[in-house]
Formats: sequence, structure tokens, C-alpha cells
Amino acid sequence: MRARQFLIAVAAAFSAIALLALSGLAFGHGDLLSILISGSVGSKFALEGTLLKSVPLLLTGISVAIAFRAGVWNIGGEGQFLAGAMGAFLGARYGMIAALAASLIAGALWASIASALRLWRNAPEVLTTILLNFIAIHLLGYAVNGPLQEASGKYPQSDLASASLPVLGELHAGIALAIVAAIAAWFLLYRTAEGLRLRASGFNRSAAKWAGVNVDAQLVRAMAISGAMAGLAGGIELLGVTHRLFERFAAGYGYAGIAVALLAQLHPLGTIASSFFFGALTTGAGELQRTAGISSTVATFGQAIVILVTIVFTRRKNA
Amino acid sequence: MRLSHITKRFGANLAVDDVSLDFAPGEIVGLVGENGAGKTTLMSIAAGELAADEGTIEDRVAVGVVHQHFLLVSEFTIAENLALAMWGRDAEAIIRESGIELRDVHRRVADLSVGEKAKLELIKAIARHPRVLILDEPTSVLAPTEARELFDVMRRLAASGTTVIFISHKIPEVLEVATRIVVMRRGRIVVDGGRMSAAELAEKMVERPIPENRRRAGGGPAGGPPALRLRGFDVHPGEIVAIIGVAGNGQSELALSLRDSLRGRVAHIPEDRARDGLVAEMTIAENIALAEPRWRPRAAAERAAALIERFNIRAQSPLQRAGSLSGGNQQKVILARELERHPEIIVAAEPTRGLDIEATSFVHDELRAAATRGAAILLITSDLDEAFALGDAIHVIYRGTLSPRLTPEEAAVRAPQLMAGVA
Repeated sequence: MRARQFLIAVAAAFSAIALLALSGLAFGHGDLLSILISGSVGSKFALEGTLLKSVPLLLTGISVAIAFRAGVWNIGGEGQFLAGAMGAFLGARYGMIAALAASLIAGALWASIASALRLWRNAPEVLTTILLNFIAIHLLGYAVNGPLQEASGKYPQSDLASASLPVLGELHAGIALAIVAAIAAWFLLYRTAEGLRLRASGFNRSAAKWAGVNVDAQLVRAMAISGAMAGLAGGIELLGVTHRLFERFAAGYGYAGIAVALLAQLHPLGTIASSFFFGALTTGAGELQRTAGISSTVATFGQAIVILVTIVFTRRKNA
Repeated sequence: MRLSHITKRFGANLAVDDVSLDFAPGEIVGLVGENGAGKTTLMSIAAGELAADEGTIEDRVAVGVVHQHFLLVSEFTIAENLALAMWGRDAEAIIRESGIELRDVHRRVADLSVGEKAKLELIKAIARHPRVLILDEPTSVLAPTEARELFDVMRRLAASGTTVIFISHKIPEVLEVATRIVVMRRGRIVVDGGRMSAAELAEKMVERPIPENRRRAGGGPAGGPPALRLRGFDVHPGEIVAIIGVAGNGQSELALSLRDSLRGRVAHIPEDRARDGLVAEMTIAENIALAEPRWRPRAAAERAAALIERFNIRAQSPLQRAGSLSGGNQQKVILARELERHPEIIVAAEPTRGLDIEATSFVHDELRAAATRGAAILLITSDLDEAFALGDAIHVIYRGTLSPRLTPEEAAVRAPQLMAGVA
């Protein structure tokens, strides 16, 4: 079983690369693959870029993996990411630690709106979390044009946050935090009784209920932890990379987390590898745009292939 | 139409056992029997939906079936559903011809009452002018006036030469409308005849040898207050109280409400093992640990290995996926998990359904042992043999209402009538 899952993941990643290379050939860009590789891992500079991109992907990937494992379809990573970034910006006045804590709490609270709606009116979280994304995007738009706009009032963006993450050369401490989060998520899911109940609720809600598991509590918990991880991703992105809020801050990290988690077969440790893969794809695609004039949206194309291959070959119960 | 020497097996289970039956035009045949007696299987074979393992059907004619479960597209209107069945014909004409009243064909099926849906199914079947019309438990969802209306339609169809076969376990209705009564039990026809009294029919339906008394020596309640007290029944520590009845009379609802309301050390053995019993994707060790406050993978695996040994579960390893076990072994895993909590109350619903003899007697022994240790056990079962083998006291459930508490001896006499609602 494990071996099969691993094979699917590797096959999905390779087919994405192979298809990108093939389409490069077809459109007269035979060097597409080599640019992609050198632009993502070919130099110290490229590798640093890839690692920086991997951090938010790793955290949103963990967020999706925990939620999906618990059978909670949280598609709201994007909104929780923004809530976390806004929380971190506000918390930064009280220091870096406070900013990180605020990002966790803001992400968890934003996600918990969806659990509240689910428990209150049985509103499907697939819909509510997506809708909450739009609300968060516009909330951020309002904030950077209004209360949080920079003092000069020139651009729709905030001032620099009052705190930031410690840096190590080009990199920031968020990388270590994200890896610790992945290990903690693994421990939670596979080494604690709560994790066991979370997974049981995800596989078979009804059987879990008969075994005495409080499945509603699992839903609330999984959604909150998932939201906290996405929120932390937003907070780290703000405190380590952008240092200010602006419109289009999330840039798809929330949705990309779904691809990261699926490629990792919803395993928190697997997300470390898969977020690096997608991080490399994104930076490599940026290089393609700069040197070969190919739109960097090919990274999205690669993501889509990975998700398709993973879904098609994963064994599922017949609907 | 004539069925001769029909036999049908599902795995080891003989659903229909060498049955011969013929139908004459204009008859209304009431086909009765307990759940699992083979009525529906036999009729599916007659309708050509299922192939018999042995036997032949002679003089095959057009057969129409109205199934117990509706086969309607609920987002479509009445007219659209009729168009699916009979393309190109006017919906209102079809309805008029059937002689059944159903107004406004532009209503969506989702908005219809259950009775109206049943009528629509009947109209669909009649529209094809079958020579034999099979109705599988058609009145189970109908109000009494609607049922009366249905009987009029049945009589009219019979008068025009159609054979109507009416599957039911509601004895009063069968007696009211059928011109011929066929009783099935355990895959065989035990009675084929005309009129009989309600009591006679009830007895034929559930008749069985006097159950042998395999109750525990010294079984029965210990002194003191009941461990489980609900409206209509008490269960004392150390006693097994069985609730019997034809399926669908409120047993599932009772088990569900007990699951959601009882607190403390309570064990539940769910009725629908495949859906509710185990998490198929997780290992045996994980499933057993679900009821535990802690989860330590290694300790859990060791504990599961010990339980596999003690409950004689045929598994290669505690890390085997629970879904890969056979039904009987899955049930043993559930039992191991639930009984290891040393529960004060056990609610066991159909604990041996679908199990072979060996697994069944194992489950029975474990339940008896738990009672001897002082657990109060509520056994909900549609298997009368099981109820008599285990129960210190018996209640019959009929339409959601429990009979008074009966001793096994009283129940042996009164259960058939109580179960059929004719007492």
C-alpha cells in the first residue's frame, strides 16, 4: 500500500516534468527542461528562491493534508493564509513571536467560521471555505486601501511590518518553523489518540461514531489546526519575505497547498518533498519567463497534471 | 406462467430452495413470509431480473414489478418520469388509462408525498400492460385510505385478467385482498391455499420448533436497580433482554437513540457491520485502540495481537487492514474492542447476522460470559433462535412499540402474533 502510494507520487511528478518537456519540444523550446532545472536548483541563488517558495507551500500543504485526512474538505487555504498575514501584521507591534501567534490564531478563527456554519446549518465546508476566500481577499483589499494603508497613502499597500523573522543569508527562519510544523503534524496524526480519532473520522464517520468518537469535535479540531497552518504560512510569508501587505498577497498559495498535499498522498512528511518539488516548479517557471519568454503559468499546468495523475491512479471506493 | 423447481443460492445461503409455483389469470396472490424468507428473490427470478441457479420458467409472460424502493428521478416532474418509461405517450392519458388518481403531472417528484410516489410507480408498471404484476411491499409507505385505493386497483386489474402478486408481511391486508395465499419460510413454500384466519397465518409465517433452552445456568437479573431503564423496559445487571420483531419496526431507531443518549461504560455492536462496524482502511490495532484514551502504536499492536489470540480472529497480523478480514472475523474484532472496555451496558444489534455457525456460537458465548460478569445486555435481533438462546426476557417490537416483558416461555407462544401485529 505504502509502496504503491509512493510510486503514484513519483509517477505523477515525472509525468508533469515529461509533459512540460514534450510541450516545450512541440513549440520549439527544446531547452525548456534544462532551463526549468537550472532555474530552480542549478545555482545557489536559484536554490534559495526555490526554498523560499517551498515554505508557504509546505505549510498550506500540511494544512490541506490534516483537513483531508480528517474528511474535512477545507478549500479555504487562500483565505486562511490572508487572515494569518493580516493577523501577523497586527501582532507584529508586539514582536515577532506575537506576530506568529496571531497568524496561527487568525487562520484558525477564519477556518472555524466554516466549522460553525457546518455544525449550525450543516453547510458544506467545500462551499463555505471557498466563499470565505473571496471575503478574505476583499477584506485585505479594503485594509490596504483603508485602515492599514501606508502612511504616505501612495500605493494600496501597508507600511513595513514592525517585526520580521531572523534571516540566514537570503533565507529566513520560517524554513525551520515549517519543517517543525510538518513533523508536529505527523506526530499529531500518527502518534496521538486525537490523531487516530481524526483519521478514523476521515475514513468512516459513521463507524467512528459507533466506536464512541465525537466526530463533530474532530471536525472542529481538524478545521482549526488546518486553518492555523495556512495562517502560519501567511504570517511567515509576511514576516520573512514581503514584510508588507498588499492586494493579491496570497497569489494562489492556498490552492497550491491542495496539489502539494495530494502529491504527498496526504502524508505530512511527504509534503516536505512535494512542496520542494512545487517550489522548484514555480521558480523554474519564473526563469522560463525571463529567459525563454514562456509564461510562468506553465507551473500551474504542471500542478494540474500532478493532481490529475494522482487522482486517476489513487484507489478509491466506488461511488 | 409456471415456475418449476426454482433454486437460488447466494454464497452458502440458500435463498430459494426448489420452489414450484404457477399462476392463473385473474388471481390476487398474497405472498407472505418473514424477512429473508425468499419472497423477493423468488419474484425477481419470476420477473427475469435474476437468473435461477436451477429450475425453469414455462409460459413466460410480460411481468411488471413495483419495487419496494422507488425508481424515480426526483428532480423530474411526473410527466417527465412517465416519458422515461413510455416515450412518446401523453402522460395524462397514461394516468387516466391506469385508473389511478394522480393530479397535476407538472409537479416535481421530489415534492410528491410518499403515497403519490408509490402511485406513480404503479402507473408506470401498469402502463406496460403486464400479464403478471408483482407488488413488493407496496403498502409499507401508504396511509390506510391510500392502501384501500391500491386494493381497488388490484381488484380491477385482476378482473381484467391480470395476475397480481402482492408481497407483504402485513397479515390483515393480505387476508383482505388476496384470493390465494402463499407462505414462504426459509426459501420454501410451506402453505399454498385459500382463506385462513389471521392467527393461523401468523403461526405459519414464523412457526418453528420449540426453541431449546440454552440459557445460562442461574441466568437472570442480580438484585438491585436496573442498569438500563427506558420507557417500556428495564435491563438489570447480569441479564440479557432480547428485543425481537420483523425488521423495520423501529429496531434501528432504538439502537441509534441508545448510542446517542447512553453515557458511561457502554458497548455498542452496530447492526450494519459493513458501514458502522470498523474503519476498513485502518488496521486491526488502530480499530481496537479507537475506544482507548491513549494511542501508542507498539503497545496497541501488542494488545491487538493478544486479543486476536484470545478471540480466535483469523488475521495475519495486528497491522492488517480491518477491511481485508471476513465478516465473521470483523465482528470478532468489534466484539473484542467493545467487550474489552468491561462495559456495564451492552447494546448488541443483530450481532450474528450473516455469520457462520462457529462464529455465531462464539459471539453467543462471549455475550453470555459478559452477562455472567454482570453486564446488562440489550439484544436487538430479528433471529428468533438467537433471542430464545440468549434472552432471559423478551420484548416484541411492532411499529415502534414494545410489548410487555415476556418470559421466553410466554414469548414462544405469543411472539408470532405480536410480531405480525394481530395480537
